[in-house]
Amino acid sequence: MSGILNVGTRALQANQIALQTAGNNIANVNTPGYSRQTAVMQTVPGQFTGSGYIGKGVEVSTIERAYSEFLTRQSALASATSSGDTARSDKLTQLETLFQGGKDGLGAAVSDMLNAFSDVATAPTDLTARTVALTRVSETAQRMSNTATSMDDLQQSLTLELKNKVTSINSLATGIASVNEKIARAQGNGQPPNDLLDQRDQLVSDLNQYIQTTSIPATDGTVGIFIGGSQALVLGNTAAALSLTADDFGVQNNKLALIRNGVSNTLNENTLGGGEVPGLLRFQNTDMAEARNLLGRYSLAVTTSMNDQHKLGLDLDGNPGGNLFTPSDITNNVSGAATNSVGAGSLTLGISDISRFAASDYEVNFSSATAGTATRKSDGSLTAFTFTAGTALTNGTFAFYDPSTGVNDLPAIDGLTLNSVTTSAPSAGDRFLLKPFSTATGNISAEFSSPRALAVASPWAGKMGASNTGSLQLSGLETRNQPVGTPPPVTIKFINANQYIRSDDTNYANYPATLPLPLVYAYVSGTPIEASLPSNYPTTPYTYAAVSDWSVTLQGAPKPNDTYTVFGIKDTTTDPSTGRPHNNGIDLTLTSGNANAMMNLRDAAMFDGASLTDGYAGLIAQIGIRSQSASYTAGVSSAIAASVEKNRTAVSGVNLDEEAAKLLQYQQAYQASAKVIQIAQSIFDTLIQTMSR
Amino acid sequence: MSTLSNARLGSANAYDTAVNNITSRQSALSTLQEQLSSGKRVVRASDDPTSAAIAERALTRISRIATDQRALTSQVSSITQAESALGDVTDALQRFRELTVSAGNGAYSTAERKSVAIELQGLRDQIFALSNTKDSNGLPLFSALGSALTPFVSPQQAAAPDYTFNGLPGQMASTAVSVPFALDGNSAFMLTSTQAYTVAANTTPTSTLTNSQVTISNPSALTGDTYTVTVTGIDLASSPGNTLLSYDVTGTVSGTTSYTSIPYATGQTVAVNGLSGLSMNLTGNPVLGDSFTVTPGPSVSLFNVLDTAIQSIGNAPDSNTAGQAVSQALGDIDLGLAKVGAIRSQAGELLNRADRISGNQDKRSIQMEADRSRAEDLDMVKGISDFQKQQTGYQVAMQTYAQIQKLSLFDFIR
Repeated sequence: MSGILNVGTRALQANQIALQTAGNNIANVNTPGYSRQTAVMQTVPGQFTGSGYIGKGVEVSTIERAYSEFLTRQSALASATSSGDTARSDKLTQLETLFQGGKDGLGAAVSDMLNAFSDVATAPTDLTARTVALTRVSETAQRMSNTATSMDDLQQSLTLELKNKVTSINSLATGIASVNEKIARAQGNGQPPNDLLDQRDQLVSDLNQYIQTTSIPATDGTVGIFIGGSQALVLGNTAAALSLTADDFGVQNNKLALIRNGVSNTLNENTLGGGEVPGLLRFQNTDMAEARNLLGRYSLAVTTSMNDQHKLGLDLDGNPGGNLFTPSDITNNVSGAATNSVGAGSLTLGISDISRFAASDYEVNFSSATAGTATRKSDGSLTAFTFTAGTALTNGTFAFYDPSTGVNDLPAIDGLTLNSVTTSAPSAGDRFLLKPFSTATGNISAEFSSPRALAVASPWAGKMGASNTGSLQLSGLETRNQPVGTPPPVTIKFINANQYIRSDDTNYANYPATLPLPLVYAYVSGTPIEASLPSNYPTTPYTYAAVSDWSVTLQGAPKPNDTYTVFGIKDTTTDPSTGRPHNNGIDLTLTSGNANAMMNLRDAAMFDGASLTDGYAGLIAQIGIRSQSASYTAGVSSAIAASVEKNRTAVSGVNLDEEAAKLLQYQQAYQASAKVIQIAQSIFDTLIQTMSR
Repeated sequence: MSTLSNARLGSANAYDTAVNNITSRQSALSTLQEQLSSGKRVVRASDDPTSAAIAERALTRISRIATDQRALTSQVSSITQAESALGDVTDALQRFRELTVSAGNGAYSTAERKSVAIELQGLRDQIFALSNTKDSNGLPLFSALGSALTPFVSPQQAAAPDYTFNGLPGQMASTAVSVPFALDGNSAFMLTSTQAYTVAANTTPTSTLTNSQVTISNPSALTGDTYTVTVTGIDLASSPGNTLLSYDVTGTVSGTTSYTSIPYATGQTVAVNGLSGLSMNLTGNPVLGDSFTVTPGPSVSLFNVLDTAIQSIGNAPDSNTAGQAVSQALGDIDLGLAKVGAIRSQAGELLNRADRISGNQDKRSIQMEADRSRAEDLDMVKGISDFQKQQTGYQVAMQTYAQIQKLSLFDFIR
């Protein structure tokens, strides 16, 4: 009798717990991190009688959490990868918008600026055309510095975001440590603390949004959280602190360091894996750095080549041109490692060849006091150099050493020179970081605004002999250097259709009768003739620059005794053969040789062989490719994350239909149990009535 | 989506997935709408980096071609003006020549010659003014490789009696996209020493031997020598009706060459040998010692030729002197006409070339525009079709979501 009652009561209790559990599941259907719970029923062991074991009903042995360790870990990992990729892709989309194509872009500004010199060449005395060209110069400077400013803004918000996220990581880690402690305490009472476990899993999952972690359970129920492969972020109930730190070369906020017990341990970026913080760091240290280098290289090459060409011209007052843009100073863009034996100031950067620039940072490592390697960071290519104090430094074809100044020139790397400016030589293990382009764009502005000061004329001029009978035409006269003083004119005199002699040969006048004869050069129509000197050139009274001062290209078929003479455009000294000034009294303000040369910069091979005006197209494509591939990667990894999360929730998630069915199921069982009690009562009543008669 | 077999669906996750799908449909729809409204397939470089670069390069080329074409228009305008100026110069020179011929008319009086000279002076002024014409930007049309604002200057001082060209002789070459702004004024208007030879007239008073104008028969054989032709023997007897003439030709560099017994019809014309690259005839009856000196002219200008003709015609005391002056002047004017004509034909060639360049550039521009359009513009038909497809997809996603949400076991628990 009491047996039936007991069985019924137990069943009532057990089914009530099951109903409550189902209700709890329904209540928590939208709670993040909640794992579906099930009341686990078991029979109460039967009582032995002569008739065998009589069942004593049911009891709830435990409330079980539907949980797959494997799927939870996989989901956390996939979501870490996905959030890292997405963070990087989102930032790249922002970065990409700074490099607009089309008419509003920086490339169009540069192209318009160079094209504006066409109108100046058409009308060299027209101040309006000159003003338009200057306005275009200023517009270009503006767009360059605007882009650089926007990148700085992006960097600032990025740094702030990184700091906030690192703070979040630290508070999550502290949270996990404290839950660990509670779980360890609850461990003693025999039943699993399901809600605490869920809470910890959720904290770990949140943490994985920020940084990929590895969880290793300990025997006391706590879980150790490791990042960067093997660095412990949480151990038991203690959490280490993560912080942003500078790298070896003092570049701020580009590394993560883990501080445990006061000891700071810098983490290797490559081992960090997924998560928003590593994703953002990757964006900052590779994508952003490359974009800065690309922009820096572009603006440095454009402004330097424009400045250099402009300085080779003469303005309306006949003075040499100045800088069009504020020149970028890259001299001190060198930083040394903290452990170096000499300071960063002992090395300086210089430009040797704009057209060979590569958009990269460089690391210079001294393997001994006399040798080392330079590494191009963008592709990791190595250049070895040797360094012997007081002698020439050699690097393949390069050898630079200037004994007159005592300057040791390290090898020219990609059009850059590295100069040792102190006598104290670096020693083995010294490392230097060269960032030639990353800050080159920042302070570019237009240098002047007076249209008169635009150097449009060329300082060199040439004339054909008045009695030429051949069909010589002038293709171009390029300036390489401004004339110093009044250099003697150089006459190229043709002795037949394919050969010429030069008046800067000491034996020029001997031709054709007297020995020694002057050197004879071959003439090819359309091939430049350089001002470089024949070996027997007299060095007095005029000292020529070591390199060519000009380069002239003639075309057509000359006849014997046809001449072409190159002289300074301001050379008014008397030409003894005509009795008139060398420049025939021409007005240099009506000429536009240098405007043409500025215009021709459009085709100068500059960026990995691409022309100057095509450089920007390459730049936006390069950043576009990064953005595109990051976006693809983010798409793939978020699809994977979604799929794995779906699998995880298939195990741990609450399904309302299932719970509804369970409600019905346990409700019926509950009702049936109540019936058992009613039956027991009814039996008892029957017994009582029978007995009472 | 991969699922575990017979998998339970987490209700919350199912909602999230459905909402995510709808969101991504919506964003795809909005991207398509952006492409349709901008007409561009590549809105940002990451949409298609290669096409973005192609479009950017094409855009640069198009604006460059526009710039080159604008410059070419200026260049063509300058050369057209120069060509037309040279045409006017040619007309004026021809008129000058006709008047010069008429001045040689033996019946003209001194006064008539003076009035011809006055008319010639007007033509000369016109030609001189044309030579200093400027284009619309104020640059001289005949500035060659560079010149002063006024390239041709009248004689300034007695020591330099000729006109000067204040410029750098030579012709700028054309490029693939441009033609020069200016023509070689030096070649058009200045005669060089190897192009004009003067003959010092015979001074023997009893002689009737006269020289013709010296003309260049073979330009490549010219040496620049000054030649003196001296008559050393006359034989009227050996061949009746003919004169056998002996003479020496002495060049300052080439030395003396003797020619003996050259026959010609007495009183008629004989060609002089030994003048390398030049030809000159002598007419009349020689006297021993007759001598003609052929000198390469100092660099003279066309204007100087005209001035000389005007002076010698205007001041000629008699028709014989006028005749000699006319003979000399006509040769020089013809030389000038030839030079002006040569530069004028060069101008014509430049204009032809400019037409070709302009045609090519237009074609390239169209080609570049097509390249740009192919690279970044949206195919509207495809775009609209994609848009409708996406729209249908979006509607289906929303409808099915709404329908599935209505289904719940709880609805059946009463």
